[in-house]
Amino acid sequence: MAISIESLPPPGWDGEGLDGLLAAFLPGRLSEIFGPRSSGGGSLLLALLSRATARGGLVALVDAADSLDPVTAERAGLDLRALLWVRCGGRPASAWSAMDLLARCTGFAAIALDLGGAANTAPPSLGTRLQRAAEGSGAAVIVRTPRHLLGGAAALVVSVRRVRTRWIGADGLTRLGGLVSEARVLRSRMDPRLATPERAWVMEWRA
Amino acid sequence: MTRIACLVVPGAGEQTQQLLLELALAHSPSVEDGGPGIVYLDLRGLEGLFGGEKEIARRLLDAMTERGLAGRIGVAGSRAGSRFAARSGDGITIIPSGEDARRLGPAPLALLDLDPRMTTRFGRWGIRTLGELADLPSRGLAERLGDERSWLQRLARGEDTTPLRLWTPPPAFEESAECPWGVETLEPLADLAAGLAEILCARLSRHGYSADAFKWSCRLADRTMHEGGCAPAAPLSDPVAAAALVRSSLAAHPPRSAVEEITLRARPVRVATTQPRFDEPPRPSPRQLTATLARLTALVDAQGIGSPVILDTHRPDAHQMAPFTLPPSPLRGEGRVRGGPRSQGGPKSQGGPKASGSVLTMRRLRPPRPVEVALAAGIPAHLRAAGLTGPIVAGAGPWRISGDWWTDAPFARDEWDVELADGTLCRLTRDSRGWRLEAIYD
Repeated sequence: MAISIESLPPPGWDGEGLDGLLAAFLPGRLSEIFGPRSSGGGSLLLALLSRATARGGLVALVDAADSLDPVTAERAGLDLRALLWVRCGGRPASAWSAMDLLARCTGFAAIALDLGGAANTAPPSLGTRLQRAAEGSGAAVIVRTPRHLLGGAAALVVSVRRVRTRWIGADGLTRLGGLVSEARVLRSRMDPRLATPERAWVMEWRA
Repeated sequence: MTRIACLVVPGAGEQTQQLLLELALAHSPSVEDGGPGIVYLDLRGLEGLFGGEKEIARRLLDAMTERGLAGRIGVAGSRAGSRFAARSGDGITIIPSGEDARRLGPAPLALLDLDPRMTTRFGRWGIRTLGELADLPSRGLAERLGDERSWLQRLARGEDTTPLRLWTPPPAFEESAECPWGVETLEPLADLAAGLAEILCARLSRHGYSADAFKWSCRLADRTMHEGGCAPAAPLSDPVAAAALVRSSLAAHPPRSAVEEITLRARPVRVATTQPRFDEPPRPSPRQLTATLARLTALVDAQGIGSPVILDTHRPDAHQMAPFTLPPSPLRGEGRVRGGPRSQGGPKSQGGPKASGSVLTMRRLRPPRPVEVALAAGIPAHLRAAGLTGPIVAGAGPWRISGDWWTDAPFARDEWDVELADGTLCRLTRDSRGWRLEAIYD
């Protein structure tokens, strides 16, 4: 028999905490989110895009692995009409080139590249090019990678990792409840205080 | 004295209406679009050209018949009179000058296209025909309806002093270039098309228009036609962006043989120029966005660029791509609703209530990857797939979903959410074809 238990958010998590982390992704700067699969990095990326569209901005997502799920994206608050989705069908080289092109287009609030597991390297000097393009276009340029790829080019580097999975059901698991993940800022050129080792954001992503 | 002809074609569509308007304009410079299937034209001054009213009406009817339009024509001193004449008679009906009031007497009130409130009001007064309305005391009617409504009585008496609202055909934006020697390679053809786009954009700008679509057609050396088109993300009249767009469109669909003539058409739209609000987020300029999308099309498949639209079905991952266009700004109160107004029921069917910002998203594998799953007591215990292998330490399921059984492509499957030992959270599905890895949570 299914029993639904809504657990409380874990200690250390609250809405302001997530907003505080999202606010660190500044317009006109290149940011990198890295972490293995199921670490909450994709959810963090969509939360960033959703926040941008909620403020009336347009966003672009270069999807290297063609893996965006529009239904969960919409549940996360992303206005699909304000989203330019570029599906690269598992071709990382095309994704990097598309990102290089889009990052120069002014008028987007956020431009993201989601590499998924599609790439393990970045083209040489592309990080620097993206940073300069972000400064020119004024958009928040974000790259989600499975591991740290952009070297010293990104103004903000956030590492994410899974803390635990939350399941619902007391007498046998009945449903996936969510994922608790932790984000740490490894580098923040604009606000170095964010990158202190003892500071971490614990976030719960609800399924 | 005003003399109006009314052309009536019952059940006319948009194309027929356009044909009717053009036909009328070929006979008189004063033409009014009276709504679907109705066109008025002013007959004053046409006697010298075509003869009397009867001859003009006959000429109009012949022209309609030539174009395959089965219609009727009425001529009177007012719009209401001519319309009544056209509807009541067969072929051509002419109400002589000064007889509009008498002939309109038995006509129903519906001829005046009254709003429902006014129709009800007259109905309560027992007024059913134009004659009954015309016979009401003018002063009393003005007291009850106000001055602005008393013109209805003048119309019922066949007094129509309002000039026709002149219809003018929309300007055609089309340019052609002939190359009898035959252009065999893409580059010079793209140059030709880009030149045409620049000329078109200059004409559009002169008329205060922008283009929201371009269509090109090539006459090939083998006497066949090669056609295509492209649409910018936002209406534009910038020659450079239009040229880039047409170039990329031609490059995506190159002709199969030498081109002897190329024609480019632009669909004109009026774009209201508005000053951006101070608190409005910046938006891409149509010129830059169009150029960027054109270059993106060269990098990835054009079908893979756009905005997702969730389809109204319970089928998992049911969505389609729509061309990306600049949506109206929500700050102007033009209705972008947070959470995707374009969706057609997806969240209702699959996602439950909307959350905000802290939703666990999933990466879909397209197409879902076949996997090997070992069961223990009917529960998935081990997963083996390319790049993803390991014991399953937790899981929930099966959740059975099915639907579309009334169509040719029904679906039914069991879904499991499982967690591998390395922490990977994924969704497995099982149907008649076996186990598949559907998505990975991230």
